Amino acid sequence: MSALLVALIAGIGAGALYAMLGTGIVVAFRGSGVINFGHGAVAGYTAYSFHELRVTGSLYLPWFDPIPEFGFLKTLKINNLPVRIDIFDVTDPISGKPNLALTVLVCLLMSAFLGLLMHFLVFRPLRNSPTLGKVIGSIGVFLYLSSMMAVHFGGQNRYDAGFSGFNSTAGAVENFLGLGRTIPRSNFYLFGAAIVMCVIVWALYRFSRFGISTRAADENEKGAALLGYSPQFLAGANWVLASITAGAAGILFLHKTQPAQIALFVVGGLGAALFGNLTSIPGATAGGLIIGMVASGGVEITNYDWWPEILPPSGVRNFVPLLAIILVLYLRGDKLPIRGSISIGRQPRAPKTNNVSIGVIAALGIALLLSNIFVSKWEAVLTTTLIAIIFMYSLTVLIGFLGQISLVQWSISGLAAYVMIRLMADGEKIRETDFVTNSGWGWPTVLAFVAAIVVAIIFGLLVGLPALRIRGVQLAVVTIAAVIAVENLLLRNPPLMGDGSVSVNPTPSPNWFGQYVGGFNPNTARTDYWKFSLFLIIIAGLVGVGVANLRRGQIGRRFLAIRANERAAAAAGINVARMKLLGFGISSAIAAIAGCMIAYKLPGLQTDQFEIFGGLALLAFAYLGGITTVWGAIVGGCLIAGGLLPEFLGVHFESIDTGLINAVGAIGLVVNAKVTNGEGVALLQTDLGKNTLAMLRRPPDDESSENLNDEEAKV
Amino acid sequence: MTNLTTESSSETMSDNNHLVEIENLSAGYAGVAVIRDVNLHVAKGEVVALLGPNGAGKTTTLLTTSGLLKALEGSVTVLGEPSNFSAPHKTARLGLAHVPEDRSLFFGLTVQENLRLGLRGKRSEQNAGYEAALDLLPALRPLMNRRAGLLSGGEQQMLAMARALVSNPKVLLVDEMSLGLAPIIVERLLPIVRDIANETGAGVLIVEQHVHLALEVADRAYVMSHGEIVLEGSAEELIERQDLLEASYLGGEIDEETS
Amino acid sequence: MTNILETKDLTVTFGGLNACDHVDLAVPTGKFVGLIGPNGAGKTTFIDAITGYVPTSAGKAVFDGADIGEMKPHERAQNGLVRTFQSLELFEDLSVRDNLLVAAYPTRWYTFISDMFHLTKRDEDIESRVDWALDIMGLNDVAESMPTDLPHGRRKLVGVARALAARPKLILLDEPAAGLDTAESQILGGHLREFLNHDMSVFLIDHDMGLVLSVCDYIYVLDFGKIIASGTPAEIRESPAVKAAYLGEQAGEIQAQEGERMRGQQQETGEDSD
Ligand SMILES: Nc1ncnc2c1ncn2[C@@H]1O[C@H](COP(=O)(O)OP(=O)(O)OP(=O)(O)O)[C@@H](O)[C@H]1O
Ligand SMILES: Nc1ncnc2c1ncn2[C@@H]1O[C@H](COP(=O)(O)OP(=O)(O)OP(=O)(O)O)[C@@H](O)[C@H]1O
Ligand SMILES: [Mg+2]
Ligand SMILES: [Mg+2]
Repeated sequence: MSALLVALIAGIGAGALYAMLGTGIVVAFRGSGVINFGHGAVAGYTAYSFHELRVTGSLYLPWFDPIPEFGFLKTLKINNLPVRIDIFDVTDPISGKPNLALTVLVCLLMSAFLGLLMHFLVFRPLRNSPTLGKVIGSIGVFLYLSSMMAVHFGGQNRYDAGFSGFNSTAGAVENFLGLGRTIPRSNFYLFGAAIVMCVIVWALYRFSRFGISTRAADENEKGAALLGYSPQFLAGANWVLASITAGAAGILFLHKTQPAQIALFVVGGLGAALFGNLTSIPGATAGGLIIGMVASGGVEITNYDWWPEILPPSGVRNFVPLLAIILVLYLRGDKLPIRGSISIGRQPRAPKTNNVSIGVIAALGIALLLSNIFVSKWEAVLTTTLIAIIFMYSLTVLIGFLGQISLVQWSISGLAAYVMIRLMADGEKIRETDFVTNSGWGWPTVLAFVAAIVVAIIFGLLVGLPALRIRGVQLAVVTIAAVIAVENLLLRNPPLMGDGSVSVNPTPSPNWFGQYVGGFNPNTARTDYWKFSLFLIIIAGLVGVGVANLRRGQIGRRFLAIRANERAAAAAGINVARMKLLGFGISSAIAAIAGCMIAYKLPGLQTDQFEIFGGLALLAFAYLGGITTVWGAIVGGCLIAGGLLPEFLGVHFESIDTGLINAVGAIGLVVNAKVTNGEGVALLQTDLGKNTLAMLRRPPDDESSENLNDEEAKV
Repeated sequence: MTNLTTESSSETMSDNNHLVEIENLSAGYAGVAVIRDVNLHVAKGEVVALLGPNGAGKTTTLLTTSGLLKALEGSVTVLGEPSNFSAPHKTARLGLAHVPEDRSLFFGLTVQENLRLGLRGKRSEQNAGYEAALDLLPALRPLMNRRAGLLSGGEQQMLAMARALVSNPKVLLVDEMSLGLAPIIVERLLPIVRDIANETGAGVLIVEQHVHLALEVADRAYVMSHGEIVLEGSAEELIERQDLLEASYLGGEIDEETS
Repeated sequence: MTNILETKDLTVTFGGLNACDHVDLAVPTGKFVGLIGPNGAGKTTFIDAITGYVPTSAGKAVFDGADIGEMKPHERAQNGLVRTFQSLELFEDLSVRDNLLVAAYPTRWYTFISDMFHLTKRDEDIESRVDWALDIMGLNDVAESMPTDLPHGRRKLVGVARALAARPKLILLDEPAAGLDTAESQILGGHLREFLNHDMSVFLIDHDMGLVLSVCDYIYVLDFGKIIASGTPAEIRESPAVKAAYLGEQAGEIQAQEGERMRGQQQETGEDSD
């Protein structure tokens, strides 16, 4: 028992990190209604900068030199965007490390600068976008900063620098409270730091009008401007504040964890922020500490004998605290939004797609032709693209049509793939190269495929349940908990998914009606089998036509009605709950098909492929292509890393750093949100003529008046 | 346009008395003008009614005045400064209060917080303005701690009015003042607006569907139809020239039906 | 005569506040009933309660002969108890026509399958109902527009048309004339009476006394959640209690007169232009 108690208390260490991140997330949310998935990345980038300053004395600015250094450009030597500034001179080993206080100051300024950049370049342009647009913007921030970390700092762990008190080597409290266990001293210091941060930020909001004017300006920009508040100033100030808290958290926790991981800790921070209802600073701090403690205590419990083997400790640690928060939110939520709920804002248009069958099949057919004209490498690229397209259809239905921001669909793909593998496996070695063999039921291909889809639908409906009462951006955060549940409780779970699930999970050979349709070509030992391409084209075509028809029909209309206004939808006789579940079901089925196709394509799967940020990147590209239309999914599928477009460009630019591809993609996301109002490249195409005309007719600086129109429409 | 007031009388009004001065204004949405060539002014201590059928462009005129919409042509001057499209909050800080058609309340905040956000000036002035506004709209007193989103339609309208009044505005623009209000409240509110103009010297521009009630308190009125001012004159003159007034309304109406 | 809607002791409480306090009210089948009262009296809350948007704490509501207490909002709508909203609450990214179609078509559990294969049939009966609703609200010319492009007054009418498209037995209108000018609200009044000829009963909340007094068969007056008076328009107009709580000394009077006069004018010009 005392062990459990000590474990609970020791959890305040990690809890303090969640609390600090949660505080910053709440600040940013209050300032501009954005849930910043990139918040942890800001902390991470600052932590890296701190370490780099202490060790080498140079500061890396958060951008890369856009003028590429390859091909003939290399000879031109026009690298004219400064990236690295040498601030401290650490060549002298005797004078040692640069001044600590000064370093901290520089780093905090750096994070404030990041905040300003985010405000001006990302979230200010996005201020009139729908919730989803803002979510995507913050995913863009995450992807961008992560790739900047990889480019500048190499992404390795950093250990030695900084504050002794917060270092885990700082010693331990022996025999804590006479319970006979030890707790690292640093845990208490970190706890104290979190409380201090909470009090400072809370007081700032409580004792000045800054707090309520911030909330007011975020909720109704027009109203705030009419009362004489500058909404942009308030939002910018909050971004700076939020980023400074992130930077401080990053520096303090440099020793607790690796910087690259801090970006992922944002999930805990999001949980904490949810606990504070996204608005309360003390609530977020308390939530963070509770998450830390429950997680630590939960792991302790899994040490007990009676603990069932089928529930892995890591899953318990990550998922259980979030589950508690979901329950709280669910019970607090309403079946229909009550009167005067804050408006969700404008949604991207979702026009009907006509002549679908011919269009979709023609487009995909051309892709097949093209791929065969090129070398066999293109077969692999084509199939990657097609699978991404199929997956993105699931997002089109759920997010584009129904407006439910679910981040779990990619995990559902993974779940379906793993279930299918387990059902088909028979304990035999499948390929020479396989490391492990999986035991299983040895089901035939088609049966296992259908069963995997059924499992995915059931799971999808389960995830859909919270959506009946939790909405918008809160739902987005809640679905992250489901992502964690899938990854840690279901996939990384040998008793459930077989031995392969914790290493490389070998995929069986799919056999549809006597035809081998796997992507792995035993002759070339590559994934370039042409029948698989054909098979995928048929599947992608069928699903695409189905999705487009769905939009044209009554269900599509009803989905859009729910997306726009649930209260009015119910008044129009729509069973909102049933329609939402239907959407989750259809979307999950499509995601499951995509998952099974990945298993067909590759000789082995790894759980990492289905972790959260893979799914976020796919969502981001679907959004870039256009989340509301079938064409958007097709464009989006071509854009992903490994898809047709980047690979095609890659041919011409030898080897681009993949970090840079992501960074460019992230920039594309933000630009897209601005240029197309988040409606995606695909819709832009059809409107191109119209918009250009309108632009020509308009006076040059009229751009912002258009924003105001949107805003009016929103209110 | 029909101008019932003789040219000379409007000329004699000295220009620096005009708190709001709109000249040859065209404005609209997405680059398409929905109001054209609007000329309008509001002087110190004056209540001006802006009338006209639905879709005439009244809201558009007000939005442009407070800087929420960009003028396509012409100029808008508020309190001596050109109305600032890129920063409407600056115009507000000069002393302009605008109750927009959609009210733009902060639904997530309580009634009290909504009101506090409207306060401006020194502490003592703030308190006085706050109390005065609540005395004018006593129905709000018991609702202080309710979230604004939960209020009934009419209560929201009162809150929007009160929020504009607590700032002791020098210029007050009210769009659809009686929207959703019970007749008895409308009856009380209009004289209040009159008193404010008289006592504080503020200029008031109101858009109102109840033409006769509006004309009872207004000094002057403009009637808009299809984006243009088709009639202007003093309130007494307009009350007398009932026929012209109705023609300008119904004319707009009939055109719309047949087009 | 039967009542399409009947409430008995209907009570709604928010915290300590009785927004509706033992309300007994009846809408006879085929009649036009009005509900007026000061701001915050509980009129919208009453509609919310009988359509299932807020829970009732006591009392019961009988619609079309059945107790509807346990029904969900969408079930009530499907049964023919259809409302509009005081705040607009339209489907902003569907065209005006699609707004109506959503409400007009029923769905079955298999509709999504037939939709996916594009097999769902167009129902001429329903389409013509939608055309009728657009027509009667004068929205034909904007059927393909987005609601946000319309002026405020017409957006309200889209809400009414959407309710009509759902084939209501009783249509509950919450301030449909708010923001309409006097002439338009009288045109609307004419159309509202017409609803009665299409197997509908009408329940109207509005502050435009010109409209309410001219279209209603019977009027209830609510104040602080309680019914303080009820009667024919003439009785209500004369009632001192109503005058004190709601109409005021002159405003209601002027409105009423203005409404009647404008209505006369409108009929003349309307006939002229025909
Ligand atoms: N956001 C918008 N986008 C495009 N057109 C608009 C928009 N808002 C208004 N309009 C158009 O501009 C014209 C004038 O509208 P405005 O709202 O100014 O009229 P109004 O006189 O205030 O009418 P009401 O009495 O109905 O409020 C109308 O024809 C309307 O359709
Ligand atoms: N969910 C809620 N919680 C607390 N109070 C509420 C809630 N909903 C409504 N109220 C209050 O109940 C009262 C009745 O509101 P209701 O909207 O029914 O008034 P109304 O008669 O429709 O007024 P109006 O004519 O102004 O629209 C108001 O004082 C309102 O503030
Ligand atoms: Mg208007
Ligand atoms: Mg109401």
